[in-house]
Amino acid sequence: MISFKFSRARSIALKEIRHILRDPFTVALALGLPFILVIFFGYAIDFDMKDIRLTCVDFDQSRASRQLTEIFSESGYFKIGFPERPDLFLQELDQEKTAGVLIVKPDFGKTLSSPGQTAKVQLLLDGADNSKTSAILSYLPGIQRAAAARLTGLKRQEPVKLRTRFLFNPELNSRWFVVPGLATVLIGLISILLTALTVAREWENGSMELLLSTPVRPLEIIVGKILPYVALGLGGVLFVYLAARIGFRVPFHGSHALFIAACLMFIMAGLSQGLLISVVTRQQQLAMQLSMISGLLPSLLLSGFIFPIESMPVFFHYFTAILPPRWFMVIARGIFLKGAGIGELIGPLAALLVMDIVLMTAATKRFKKDLEP
Amino acid sequence: MELTVRFGDFTAVDRLSFAVERGEIFGFLGANGAGKTTAIRTLCGLLRPTHGSARVAGLGYEDGGRALKGRVGYMSQRFTLYDDLTVDENMSFAAGLRKLSPEVLARRTEELFEFIGLTAPRNTLVRHLAGGIKQELALAAAILHDPEILFLDEPTSGVSPVARIRFWKLIRNLTEKGKTVIVTTHYMDEAEQCGRIALMRSGRLIALDSPAELKERTFPEPLLELDAQGRDPDDFLNTLRRNPGVIDVQPYGSRHHVTVRSSSEEAVLSSVPAGMSLRRIPPSLEDVFLRLVEGKDR
Repeated sequence: MISFKFSRARSIALKEIRHILRDPFTVALALGLPFILVIFFGYAIDFDMKDIRLTCVDFDQSRASRQLTEIFSESGYFKIGFPERPDLFLQELDQEKTAGVLIVKPDFGKTLSSPGQTAKVQLLLDGADNSKTSAILSYLPGIQRAAAARLTGLKRQEPVKLRTRFLFNPELNSRWFVVPGLATVLIGLISILLTALTVAREWENGSMELLLSTPVRPLEIIVGKILPYVALGLGGVLFVYLAARIGFRVPFHGSHALFIAACLMFIMAGLSQGLLISVVTRQQQLAMQLSMISGLLPSLLLSGFIFPIESMPVFFHYFTAILPPRWFMVIARGIFLKGAGIGELIGPLAALLVMDIVLMTAATKRFKKDLEP
Repeated sequence: MELTVRFGDFTAVDRLSFAVERGEIFGFLGANGAGKTTAIRTLCGLLRPTHGSARVAGLGYEDGGRALKGRVGYMSQRFTLYDDLTVDENMSFAAGLRKLSPEVLARRTEELFEFIGLTAPRNTLVRHLAGGIKQELALAAAILHDPEILFLDEPTSGVSPVARIRFWKLIRNLTEKGKTVIVTTHYMDEAEQCGRIALMRSGRLIALDSPAELKERTFPEPLLELDAQGRDPDDFLNTLRRNPGVIDVQPYGSRHHVTVRSSSEEAVLSSVPAGMSLRRIPPSLEDVFLRLVEGKDR
């Protein structure tokens, strides 16, 4: 647009910054939310399981059975407890005092020392707690191998041996995985919600009419209104980046320029979505609810941030493909942990670009249609 | 001219034609939904006419109304100023939208704050100002760029009577300086102060004249006011309604206004029952409004 006057957009941006600074809600959201999210997902929520409580009911009381429980606790994953009343072990499971009950039969030691026989141990798990149970299951083969080697004294030769090495995140530290993903949640929320609110507010209190009674152009209004939120979004990313690198020592293997470019693309998508919401609703309350549903929920739940998309029903594989957060999540983790470049990320980047164009066209078209007399 | 604005099937303004002189206070009077606001919004370039055209300060809508918007000022009935910004911030925002230089902004705010007699510190948040002062400040923001024509859409709704009088003094001062003011209002005392009044009903212009002329034309016959003074006037009102010399009977608060033919005035005046008073009064604009705007609906 030839007659776009940056000075008018700047006036609007300046006014917007003043609105932001005077509104405790916006300041709290923009500054407090990143902090809370990092603390919450970085520290409080730990997807790694350590010191899982197991109750051992040892009917054997032999050297072998004691060795077995030691192997469990030495692994670091389990903490073995012994019930005061062995006959009430199921109650402990019911009351969730323990994650599982390990039952060693009276003949455990004897069976173990008789050749050709397999000593069996029973483990009762709480199937109601799905995620904990599957974590326990994943630790069991290792324990079993260790127990077999130590209790029988034999180094049994396995015909096929599977050696697993985790690339990019050798310790499978879940924080490495979660914290870069926070950038997605933050931008998704700040850019969509705050933009939707700010534009809806101008409609709601009638000041949009005042703006339009001056020679200001729709594009100048849009640019002026969203510039401060681009800055806020980038500020949120910077905070997450610093928290990840300094606070959690997450490695950053990729290109910073590519990361910033991808952030801007994702922010653009969020702002366009927020603009679209505000133009359609024209009310702050409604705009807020719609942003929460279409902004926060997808970035938290459907982006692969917590729940892997691969394990979702097939419908969601396709549905999440139209959500920008899913693609940005791939990009953020890829750049952080794998050092992925444009070549590896061309698919997600292209998807984000397409969504940018679609959302931006829809928002500005709708916006201009509403604004021009 | 012949301005028509439609929203879908609804015709908000129907073939409206009029001309306003420079330096005039031109009032729009009409019930809610009569099309006053739509007419004003169209004239200041916020809406485009469906049919017809208009020239405002000699400009039309060819460039999307942009040049026109530069020459007029507008104050809407809903929104005035940003509550969470200070006086100065609101003014500099208005200046930024109009691309006024900092020097012009400084000079104009100085002039205008003196004009409206602003005493509050300039770094006061607007939400802490009284309604009347806010309204005056909004006026200052609307004329910051020194427009030739000022559109005010119910500028005094919700402010105190004293503040309304002050506000209208400002409006008169502006027109004395050669500015043109086009205003909508609900208040009859405000309408009295307009040079001319355009009465609107269902989007149409039904009368256009000075307040005095409007009264003269609408009430060529004598207007009498009946004050029942606490008695039940119904029997007498029915007698009046049957009297061929009586043209119209309208309730007016606790009283009634009776229009009679000049030839019957004496007879009607002498027929008043004891204890009630019936006397001739000059018609007010409210009488005109009731007769023209609401009377025809029945």
